[in-house]
Amino acid sequence: MGVCNFRNTKHTGFSTVKYPGRLLQVLRISFTDKSDTHPQISSDVEIIFFKILIYSKHLEQAIAGEYFCGEGRPSIMFRTRVAVFWHFIGKHLTPHVGLRRELYWSHNAVAIRRKTGSTLVPVLTAAPTRGLVDEQIGIKADFLPPRHPVTLCAQMRSEDGDLWEAFGHYNTSADGTVEVTRDHSVGGSYLGCEPMGLFWAMQPAPGEREGLRLRMRNVKIPLIVNISLSEGHVSPREPESGRLAVATAERWFTAPGVQRIDVRQNGVVGTLFLPPGPGSFPAVLDLWGMGGGLVEYRSSMLASRGFASFSVAYMEHKDLTVQLDISGADAYMKKAFHILQDHPQICGDRIGIIGLSYGVYLGLRMATSPDLNPSCLVCINGPAGSNKELSQVFCKPKTSESDQRYWPRDEAGYLSFRDMSLPANYSPGTQVKIENLACPTMYILGEDDQNSPSTENSNLIEDVLKAAGKSHLYTRLSYPGAGHLIEVPYTPHARLSVWRIKPEKILSLWGGETAPHAAAQEDSWKKMLHFLDTNLRA
Amino acid sequence: MRQRKIAAMSQSAPPPILSVAPTRALVDETLRVRVDNLPPRAPVTLRCEHRSEDKDYWEAYGHYVSDAAGAVSVADDLSLGGTYCGREAMGLLWSMRPVPGSRTGLRLRKRNVRTPMLFTISVFAGHVDRDFDGRPPLARELVERWYAAPGVRRVEVEDRGVRGTLFIPSGPGPFPGLLDMWGGGGGLLEYRSALLASHGYVSLALEYFAPGELASTDLEFQYFETAFDLVRRHPAVLPDRVGIFGLSMGAMVAISLASESARVEPACCVCISGSHFFPRDQPLSQISQPNARNVGKIRLDDQQNLIWRDLGLPVSGDLSRKADVRRINCPLLLVNGQDDQNHPTVEYAEDIERMMRSAGKEHLLTRLEYPDTGHLIEPPYSPHFRATNFMWDSKKARVTLLWGGQTKAHSDAQEDSWHKILAFLQRHLYSAPRPKARM
Repeated sequence: MGVCNFRNTKHTGFSTVKYPGRLLQVLRISFTDKSDTHPQISSDVEIIFFKILIYSKHLEQAIAGEYFCGEGRPSIMFRTRVAVFWHFIGKHLTPHVGLRRELYWSHNAVAIRRKTGSTLVPVLTAAPTRGLVDEQIGIKADFLPPRHPVTLCAQMRSEDGDLWEAFGHYNTSADGTVEVTRDHSVGGSYLGCEPMGLFWAMQPAPGEREGLRLRMRNVKIPLIVNISLSEGHVSPREPESGRLAVATAERWFTAPGVQRIDVRQNGVVGTLFLPPGPGSFPAVLDLWGMGGGLVEYRSSMLASRGFASFSVAYMEHKDLTVQLDISGADAYMKKAFHILQDHPQICGDRIGIIGLSYGVYLGLRMATSPDLNPSCLVCINGPAGSNKELSQVFCKPKTSESDQRYWPRDEAGYLSFRDMSLPANYSPGTQVKIENLACPTMYILGEDDQNSPSTENSNLIEDVLKAAGKSHLYTRLSYPGAGHLIEVPYTPHARLSVWRIKPEKILSLWGGETAPHAAAQEDSWKKMLHFLDTNLRA
Repeated sequence: MRQRKIAAMSQSAPPPILSVAPTRALVDETLRVRVDNLPPRAPVTLRCEHRSEDKDYWEAYGHYVSDAAGAVSVADDLSLGGTYCGREAMGLLWSMRPVPGSRTGLRLRKRNVRTPMLFTISVFAGHVDRDFDGRPPLARELVERWYAAPGVRRVEVEDRGVRGTLFIPSGPGPFPGLLDMWGGGGGLLEYRSALLASHGYVSLALEYFAPGELASTDLEFQYFETAFDLVRRHPAVLPDRVGIFGLSMGAMVAISLASESARVEPACCVCISGSHFFPRDQPLSQISQPNARNVGKIRLDDQQNLIWRDLGLPVSGDLSRKADVRRINCPLLLVNGQDDQNHPTVEYAEDIERMMRSAGKEHLLTRLEYPDTGHLIEPPYSPHFRATNFMWDSKKARVTLLWGGQTKAHSDAQEDSWHKILAFLQRHLYSAPRPKARM
């Protein structure tokens, strides 16, 4: 059968099709390894292979030799068949293969342990193993030799399959332990005593696509993070044979019992997250920026913290029936606010607004409107006014050909709202009537925001409120070294990411340096939750 | 209409806040439950509800009074009534029992360990004892309790006749291993093995007969030796760090393997509610189960539950019917309940100690005995079952066996023994260096 052919054929280069290539390599090693050390592996893999062959005719052709003989790049047909192959692998084989791959290397891990003369079995524990994304997780290694160099490495795959990783170099203490809450990293992705460094310092692994940003689309599933402990001060690229132990953690964007509800009502497009229980709950309206679409993970986290949260789409969403201009946006947001107020499980007089980037402008417009009375407002790095160019970006037609012309760029070619969002450049009449703000307002500012002039805008808001005798309403949290995208804590920082791909790739420079940006996310989230608590719950 | 709704709501105080942490945890982790924003000195009821895989409803509840600040903390405050009393941080879990009106003789055992157990924790106004479904709670939270930690791999095993499920901790390993066996009820229960793997042990949950087939099984001792060997030779297992974990009949098999087997050398044994009978030249079905000779010793309690305890008494002096525990060479932990109504396990433990002392091996033995504790000593915070349905022989009618134990004492025993069991396993399978004697 195909199995025999597989054993005899050469292994041609599959570097362009990563995962199946590696899988097939493992299987090939298992097949050709004639030693008796792992008799178990060969026979089990054979059985599994048989099952896969039965399931897919395509698979049989693929493995029987069509793609294994000869040189050259894999064809489109090959890629398609490999995709089918991979689907079945994922469904039926991965649990076994994961084991096999590790079994192959575990043989070497034992050898290393013998070499170092240690008869102790190192143990790596993470607690909690299942936590929310904004929760701290304690990582501890035990039963190691004293004063010994080790590396802790965290890796995870995003929904799109990109590999993100971070690592830290540690030295074990006199009792042979490492604790991230106590010890200092002396090298790697972060330095110093950083209990959550393995999470916030994550970056795409070398070789991954450029300009990535971690944005979870399906908030009902966790991110699975594998934390590994390795010998010596090494990089994550070192072979797995140096791995001593692994702990797996799940990081969730939603607590158990949180309800996710698709809202398509009165033309409003959004997702409502309700905490578990009968209510009535305080609520927030959650607004993002000009990236458009529906971003749900901040709302799901807020619902996990007890606030009903309504993430609303206002541009670039397939279910939006009309293209909004600014006055259309006012009416639209009013409807969204009323959807919250009218909800039977929501406390109508305990509704706040959170806005990021352009969402700040929309939030400020709502908070200064005589028709609505939110209880509080949180602004993250956004403008208090607009101008003709910015309106054009907002109101631009949806077709993708014209898309390109409307995105503003700076001299380096990055997406930038710097000029058009400067208070000095506001068009008359577009500046929000800040003096009419009647609710407590918190402005979270990244001082290294390279995308928008957030410092100038927050200064403007502060000055106007002071002049109106309303300084007591205003709180500014200003973070040096933080960029534009101040998000949920312990999520990776993107200084730069891809904004649009078609018809031409545009990158956006968000700014921020990783360590201070992570500190800003952690601190601002805590303070924001406290602010919401004070104004929506007390 | 909107204005009226807002006016009505702004007069009412914000609802109480129920906080439960952690919302996702392993079944042996503790839970913190508190309520805030209540009126001061207000009577409330905290309730925990679970719908089992068999679609039965289980519940536990406690009556509390909020303090001057309007708060209730289950870990700190006293429950004044309900399914548990006093300061009981985990009472909402361990005191669970089937809701009134349920089928009788139920036992709560999770079959699918790939999904969590879901518990709904609610707070009600007043001290409520019944009709919980008929009244709206003030607040509600959902909690997931898992048997398997993330990354634990589950592999179905069918090899050389051995059937079971292997659980492997996350990571390259290799790890210490365990052969994990349950009792005479039969079938395949995976939850304890999944939990042991979550603590770092490769654990094989062994299936040895289907429920109700003990009386007819033709199982041989060799089956267990092969199963142990399977674990020992697994590439993810450290071959000199494999132990045996058994409850009831499983414990009996463990002691037999440790004493009588030439092939098997466990690194340590944990035996819960076990005996040291050994099926020397007899089928397994004849041992520690009622048979024609001793069936007359079965008693009934006032609820028609069967008490099998006397079947094993008096403890036989005849060495041919017992495992020769004098030959055990590994640390042995015996965990028993003094109110065990199914087997006289404390008497057995005394006999085991006597025999081991006579061979100078008592330093290997650790005995844990708990007052008012029954036969089924399970992982902590699982409900206590004093008497449940048991399928002894599928050809005969289903019986109800009395296991014994008083709920509070039994739950304390489950919690205490589990910590000690994990410490015992860690000491003997993880941190103990293997001295290599030079001859």
